[in-house]
Amino acid sequence: MQIHPKKIILLGIIALFTFTGCASDKAQAPTAVKPVTEKAEKVFKGKIAGKSNKAKSISIVVGKGDKAKTVMLKFDDSTKGLEFAKKGSAAIIKYDIKDGEKFATIIKPKLAKLPAGVTEIKTEELRGLYENHADMTVIDARPASRYAQARLPGAISIPVPEMKMGKETVLPANKEQLLVFYCGGPT
Amino acid sequence: MSTTNAGLAKKLGYKNVRVYLEGEPAWSKAGYPTYTSKGYIDTGNIVLIDIRASHKAVEGRIKRAVSIPYDDLEDRIDDIPRNSPVILYSDDQEEATDAVDDLRSDGFKHVALVPGNYAGWVSAGGAIETGPIASTEIRWQRILGKGEVSVADFKKATDGGDPNVFVIDSRTKEEVAELGIFKNTTNIPLDEITSRMNELPKDKKIYVHCSTGARADMAYQELKKNGFDVKFLLLNIEEAECDCEILRP
Repeated sequence: MQIHPKKIILLGIIALFTFTGCASDKAQAPTAVKPVTEKAEKVFKGKIAGKSNKAKSISIVVGKGDKAKTVMLKFDDSTKGLEFAKKGSAAIIKYDIKDGEKFATIIKPKLAKLPAGVTEIKTEELRGLYENHADMTVIDARPASRYAQARLPGAISIPVPEMKMGKETVLPANKEQLLVFYCGGPT
Repeated sequence: MSTTNAGLAKKLGYKNVRVYLEGEPAWSKAGYPTYTSKGYIDTGNIVLIDIRASHKAVEGRIKRAVSIPYDDLEDRIDDIPRNSPVILYSDDQEEATDAVDDLRSDGFKHVALVPGNYAGWVSAGGAIETGPIASTEIRWQRILGKGEVSVADFKKATDGGDPNVFVIDSRTKEEVAELGIFKNTTNIPLDEITSRMNELPKDKKIYVHCSTGARADMAYQELKKNGFDVKFLLLNIEEAECDCEILRP
């Protein structure tokens, strides 16, 4: 299929703005501009806004902030990875155009990438640290409004934009102390 | 998000940085308590419940709290709107976490505690009220989300009282054939919405409904993107709240 170069660039731009949830935004950014030189692959990355088995449709939110928009795709039994099209989950959907409509071919979960030297902690281990009164600081990285509604015990709030602007002054002076960051989860 | 912050912390020289990727939803789901902030308790659209014995609530309670002693909570649970955020406090942490557990297992999704319970609130300088409790009625109204139509406006349209509205039923033809359709409503299944946009009036408001709101939301997004003045109904249409007249097949 012949694709207009403008469309390819647009796809690249869409891919650039598709980072939501806990997923790392650095890991995928460099690949987002590549499609210009490679064979363009039709793909959406973002948060699943809904899935209807009755209508055989999936909607996914791509883009960030004001640029966010919802895209609807069809699927059928030949679509792979339908189990990853769960409302609220971050996913990568490859698609084709069939009869003028977007048709999902492969759905994959969008996994968060951990920065070098950072490890994951699971619920039970974290619970154990609380029970043992471990010397740690728990930091909520979500927007302040979400933090206000429900947060983990004793957590402090440093939304990502504030961390980028240097609000880390509220972090402990002792750089050996355990820091646990969390947000709204992958789902 | 949390990974971005963790990366920045690492750069700042913190040696021991970890990320709880599953995040707050997993914490709540595992049955562990979450806590809320003073500002949200003061002004949020919440149901705030004092689960201490009523005589304690008479002596002093958080402003705008409803008194439902823990022993009565089970009996009153159906008085609490299912989709409301519920904030609880006690003077006994174990009782408070038990109550969180009870509500969550009953299907409440947003339940959190006042940090430090009543004593914590008082020492943080929070507003209280004292004296007899006039009413333990729960008054809570959901604030309509982006793109939502109120049930009242929707009902007016299906009743024929609003000629400037075009109502779409986005369920499948099979569902409509089996269950019937609201008056003054056109059935356009969600998967046909893109190909049938030419049937829709550009000069009218469009309301979309389905059985629960999920498909209507998707249709809403699609129509909005295409420049229509559209809203959707986020409601299980089998609920009593929507007593719109149905044309049976």
